[in-house]
Amino acid sequence: MTPLYQASHLCIDIGGKRIADNISFAIAPGEIVALAGASGAGKSMSAMTPFGLTHAIASGSAMLAGQQLIGMAEKDLRSIRAAQLGFIFQQPLTALTPHRTVAAHLTEAACQAGGARPSHKDMAAMLANVGLSRPEERLAQYPHRLSGGERQRVLIAAALAHGPSLLIADEPVSALDAALRRDVMAMLTGLCRDRGMAMLLVSHDLAGIEQYADRLLLLQDGRLIESGAAAVIVQKPRSDYGKALMAATPRLDEALPPLLAPGAILLEARNISVHFPKAGWRGGWRGENLQAVDNVSLTLAKGETLALVGGSGSGKSTLGRAIAGLGPMQAGTVIWQGKPLPPRARRTAEHRRLIQPVFQDPLASLDPRWSVAQTIAEPLRWLLPAAERGTMGGALVTKLLEEVDLPAEFATRKPAALSGGQAQRVAIARALAADPQMLLLDEATSALDPLVAGGVTALLGRLQKERGLSVLFITHDLALARRVAHRIAVMENGHIVETAPRDTIFSAPQAEATRRLIAASH
Amino acid sequence: MRIPLIITAIIAFAAFLLPLVLPWGHAAIDWDSVNAGLFHEGHILGTDDLGRDRLARLLVGTRTTIFVALAAAMVALIIGTIWGAAAGWIGGRTDEMMMRIVDGLYALPFMFVVILLMVVFGRSILLVFIGIGMVEWLTMARVVRGQVLALKNRPFVLAAEAAGSPGYAILLRHILPNVAGVAAAYLMLTVPQVVMVESFLSFLGLGVQEPLTSLGILVNEGADEMDLIPAALLLPGGMLVTIIICLTLAGEKYRDRMAAEARA
Repeated sequence: MTPLYQASHLCIDIGGKRIADNISFAIAPGEIVALAGASGAGKSMSAMTPFGLTHAIASGSAMLAGQQLIGMAEKDLRSIRAAQLGFIFQQPLTALTPHRTVAAHLTEAACQAGGARPSHKDMAAMLANVGLSRPEERLAQYPHRLSGGERQRVLIAAALAHGPSLLIADEPVSALDAALRRDVMAMLTGLCRDRGMAMLLVSHDLAGIEQYADRLLLLQDGRLIESGAAAVIVQKPRSDYGKALMAATPRLDEALPPLLAPGAILLEARNISVHFPKAGWRGGWRGENLQAVDNVSLTLAKGETLALVGGSGSGKSTLGRAIAGLGPMQAGTVIWQGKPLPPRARRTAEHRRLIQPVFQDPLASLDPRWSVAQTIAEPLRWLLPAAERGTMGGALVTKLLEEVDLPAEFATRKPAALSGGQAQRVAIARALAADPQMLLLDEATSALDPLVAGGVTALLGRLQKERGLSVLFITHDLALARRVAHRIAVMENGHIVETAPRDTIFSAPQAEATRRLIAASH
Repeated sequence: MRIPLIITAIIAFAAFLLPLVLPWGHAAIDWDSVNAGLFHEGHILGTDDLGRDRLARLLVGTRTTIFVALAAAMVALIIGTIWGAAAGWIGGRTDEMMMRIVDGLYALPFMFVVILLMVVFGRSILLVFIGIGMVEWLTMARVVRGQVLALKNRPFVLAAEAAGSPGYAILLRHILPNVAGVAAAYLMLTVPQVVMVESFLSFLGLGVQEPLTSLGILVNEGADEMDLIPAALLLPGGMLVTIIICLTLAGEKYRDRMAAEARA
């Protein structure tokens, strides 16, 4: 069978820098091919550039249905894009024009290659195809009325409206809530299979790739490291890079790693409630509140990791911050070894040094104007009694850097000169500086590449063992929670619906929300 | 950004240093040459109808205008930053009240207030400062408040709280240094605005007192004799336009750079 799209010896350059080097692959009609690799590996660039959608320069050869794309005039390229290609981008929240209705978007998409104006009924059918409920109503709605998942479905419907033969999907689900990702992926691949449409899928979600893609191309630093049947590569990678990548990605079916037995109860949160004033003039005017955390209790033992798992908006971060005294808390008490901790405003240095946080976005959690040494020394200055701090400020910073596997010369760097993983290690060093007994890890690895995240997770595990830390591990990733946590608490709508040791929560899930999460993670 | 700044610097140097070496002062009257033309006996740009050296008056006028603009912009920066940072940092009801005061002051007809002040207290350069400062700090306060609100919710501020930093230390050591870039950019945009306001007040006869002069006064005088001596209007007018355009261009470039830095 002749391939629909064939890239041979494809090279991509930006400003004289080679982003992708000598990549060759082919996509047969109806085939789903995934491009995977760490960020910066050049996967998006390799996928988009031959179609003229980036500022990079492509050389080599890229044939679509017998036509050479490289070197083609922009005008011809545009008509090929309009007629034969469909594109889905990562950001569903911003990819729809806010002042145009769903129907207007679909009409534009369907007419772009000179197609006939779709009737109302056709458009409703398109929306029904992508699994949107009440399609007739949706057509008249504006983007702000739709949730993230619904917007991505509209974008998929628009990408398919003119019947393309090849779909380019750049991380189509990674901006969506974890529970939605698999739904949307299943719908998308189902549509490809039904219509015999080929798809080039750029993704870093290896479990999703294994399940939905036919073939996998693994990129590292712009070079094709490994290619072959997706399931084979994910299960038994041949290259070292592939092996490292697979090992770093937590999976629900991997063997349970052993964890140290926890000690006595360290922290007990009782009947925590947090609410926020509702956004918008209506809610604010009426004094209505949004109940983010509703009467939740939990305990954490010494040396134990408790994972708080839930979808976005389930209240897990709010609860974590309330416990650590870093967010609002309207009701409830936090008891530390039998003694209640005071509310946020009255926590003193000796309370603060017990619990230290690490946040999701590593670069945003470092002051861009402070050097690494200044950042790490901040808690030393405020939290350590002068006697303990002594005169060894600089030596302590070096020791902490060493503990998080960073060389001592990083001390003088500014955050802008750090990669995401390095910045997160600095944030961890800062959290450890005051010698805390408990860490609050708020999605601490989810903004990082799989390989880097694997390294940070391993580091955190080692530190927990060495220092006997208790950890409240907030995550949306059930497989990751299973890898690190003694117990898992599932949150939904501000409630903890189920708390169980990690083996039992998978073997015998009690709550409906837990079962949904487990299903979404497979 | 570089060329406009260089031009501004040349103008500022000339305005502050050249009057010291000129043979005629801005208030000295040369009785022998009244209304002299260009290059007349050491008066490079001639003299006005009172026999005062036009070049000296142009340079001194520029000096006054730049000085008033810088001083008023600094006043705006200091009051605006303190007010805006306090409102944004404290938040809640205090923020609401402080910003409503700003809105209220915005609503005052500024010219009317300045004219009233001048009428009641007489003309003085101090009142010009107060009048201009009263308007210009309002925008600065809004800009700084917005920045502080955005920074307040950044994780590094939360991390600083967890690190035990007291509120004043977070404000002084984390928030204000990060606001500084944007505030400096708006300061650069405030200066040309103040130049314009000061000239306008002087043009109306509400600015500095004779024999001291400013660009606005010179434009006003030049307008009276523009059919006879166009240079009397074109020179101070051209100087004013050059300063405003250069500072605005540089300020906008700097603001864009700061905005890009804040996004990264």
